[in-house]
Amino acid sequence: MNGPVIHDAHTLPADDNINPYAFSVDLDGQWFLQKGKMVAYYGKIDFQGIGLGRLDRLIAGSFHSPLHAADWVVAEGRGKMVLADRAFDVNSYDLDDGNLTVRSGNLLAFEPSLALKQSIVPGFLTLIGTGKFVAASNGPVVFMEPPLRVDPQALVGWADCPSPCHHYDHAYLRGIVGGVRAHTGLGGTSGEEHQFEFVGAGTVLLQSTERMMDAIAVGETGGTGS
Amino acid sequence: MPFTTLTSRMVQAEVAPGRTLFSQRGAMLGYRGDVRFTPSITGGQGGVMGMIGRRIAGEATPLMTVEGQGTVMFGHGGHHVEVIDLAGDTLYVESDRLLAFDGSLRQGTMFMGSQGGVMGMVRGQVTGQGLFTTTLEGHGSAAVMAHGGVIQLPISTGRPVHVDPQAYVAHRGDVRNKLSTAIGWRDMVGRGSGEAFQLELSGSGTVYVQASEEKL
Amino acid sequence: MHKPLPPIVAAAAAITVPGAPIAPIAPCPSAWGTDNVGSVAQFRLQGSKVLAVDMSGDTVKAKNGAMVAYEGEMTFKKKSGGGEGLRGMVTRRLTGEQMAVMEVKGHGTCYFADRASEINLVSLHGEKLHVEAENLLCTDGALRTGTTFTGLRGSAQGNGLFTTTVEGTGQAAILSDGTAIVLRVTPQTPLQVDPGAYIAHTGNLQQHFQSGVTFRALIGESGGESFQIRFEGDGLVYVQPSERNTVGGDL
Repeated sequence: MNGPVIHDAHTLPADDNINPYAFSVDLDGQWFLQKGKMVAYYGKIDFQGIGLGRLDRLIAGSFHSPLHAADWVVAEGRGKMVLADRAFDVNSYDLDDGNLTVRSGNLLAFEPSLALKQSIVPGFLTLIGTGKFVAASNGPVVFMEPPLRVDPQALVGWADCPSPCHHYDHAYLRGIVGGVRAHTGLGGTSGEEHQFEFVGAGTVLLQSTERMMDAIAVGETGGTGS
Repeated sequence: MPFTTLTSRMVQAEVAPGRTLFSQRGAMLGYRGDVRFTPSITGGQGGVMGMIGRRIAGEATPLMTVEGQGTVMFGHGGHHVEVIDLAGDTLYVESDRLLAFDGSLRQGTMFMGSQGGVMGMVRGQVTGQGLFTTTLEGHGSAAVMAHGGVIQLPISTGRPVHVDPQAYVAHRGDVRNKLSTAIGWRDMVGRGSGEAFQLELSGSGTVYVQASEEKL
Repeated sequence: MHKPLPPIVAAAAAITVPGAPIAPIAPCPSAWGTDNVGSVAQFRLQGSKVLAVDMSGDTVKAKNGAMVAYEGEMTFKKKSGGGEGLRGMVTRRLTGEQMAVMEVKGHGTCYFADRASEINLVSLHGEKLHVEAENLLCTDGALRTGTTFTGLRGSAQGNGLFTTTVEGTGQAAILSDGTAIVLRVTPQTPLQVDPGAYIAHTGNLQQHFQSGVTFRALIGESGGESFQIRFEGDGLVYVQPSERNTVGGDL
């Protein structure tokens, strides 16, 4: 690892990562941007709230998520824009007449050549078309191929394959353990009795769980050693 | 060596008949194959009654037994994951930092107070945990979580290491521990505070320290 | 390309020989009005998030409580110093409190870390570093630290704005949430920064607050204005890939 490189308005990358946690957009026109994700910029750039009359046509063509409209702005102008999100890893993805569905909180920005729609899976957004978008993940994204079952919390998104279905661990729900739990309330849950199941051809994007859980004491089950 | 590092925050492990794993609840990120996750009432040892007793004491959350045939990905809360390999020796680790470990490792608890006098007490205050630290012994690997990754500091005779209890993750080797406080430290952090003390580790071995004074 | 004023010490290029008696970065440690003449503490990074400082009787100043481990003999002394900063100004966290700083003196190695933040080493050769107080982890005892009043026009508050300054010759370690980005400002290319992402700057820079966003269409949205800091002049601005501490900077 080399020390910090000094960037200026010209040497900042054009539509590429500066480091694992920051992405530089070479803006000449418009980009959609989630609020709070722009950390610095050079040049002449205006930021307009979604819903501004002048941008009606742009919105009509590219932004189909009224749920999220208040969280997004359009960046318009010329310059270099540095995007980042709470020091999470950020990556850009190129879609070529494709579609990719991503957790709404993970999506930072996208080109207006893509259309944004709400996924049928709550909390996810689908990008359709040709163009580039930028998304964050807790740690680097791990790409996996179906068949695969994943913890919903660990899911960043998926591309090409069919939307996931729910999978419940029946051995757990019905078994002796489940019975003991039902009668006594003891035994808790494994925390893993529900997953999203992916089948078919495509790619699944995983991250380390985003939710910070309370410190849980484990490993004290043994009493004394052995 | 069942754990493969996927990223700084995710590990992957294979399970097969005869090769089970234990993992913390909620640590599974994804899997493929025929894999079962069972809340381990026994935690491998102890039995149902032991569990109930501990449940009443409000202390234990069962581990999961991970078994079957397949590949499992583990991670938790975006914390860094460090894989520690054991070759017959013992790892002392804060229990809530254990992400997953080999079923072949013998698991136990150690009353830290018995080794370090008041240390266990103070650590209990400091970390909000009980006085017990988990021990893992044998041949196998453990995946341990830390905030911001860990550094390893060697402990050798005549060169003890002092560690902020909040930054302490684990240690191994022939190591004695006690509480100490550096000159001026207590005036700085306040006398009543548990933070007034450092863990002094002496002997020979290794201590794992995380890059943060925040507990997980 | 010509190297800029404050040479940034590469993480890996930092001194790795423990106990090396001479600091290659600060060949002439000057008194600068401190009580520490002669020996200079050795700063090196262990990974990117732990700072190891090798000391042989010398002193460093560090963020209070940021010690995670040490070997050898260390003594700690509480000091006060530092102020709020640009970010504090904008995010209205002005509480009148000052950052607590500790002075560490000893023989051995002291390890510092702060909430898993990335650590950036900056070598100073007589110039002045402005840094957010909460982002300053550790400074060589030979460096002078202080607070500087930065006159600001157009700020929302009537309060004065103070930034922590580090001056002299020696090493400083600054914290960033994620790997820091160093951005150059020239008279031709001013820079706008989210206050939550600002960490530090060097050089001859003027700062202005500007409200950079027009949320005209956001009817009913309160606080539809967000602040940015605009830097003009000649210098370097350190930015972190995070804006988590921001309240005022909405974009």
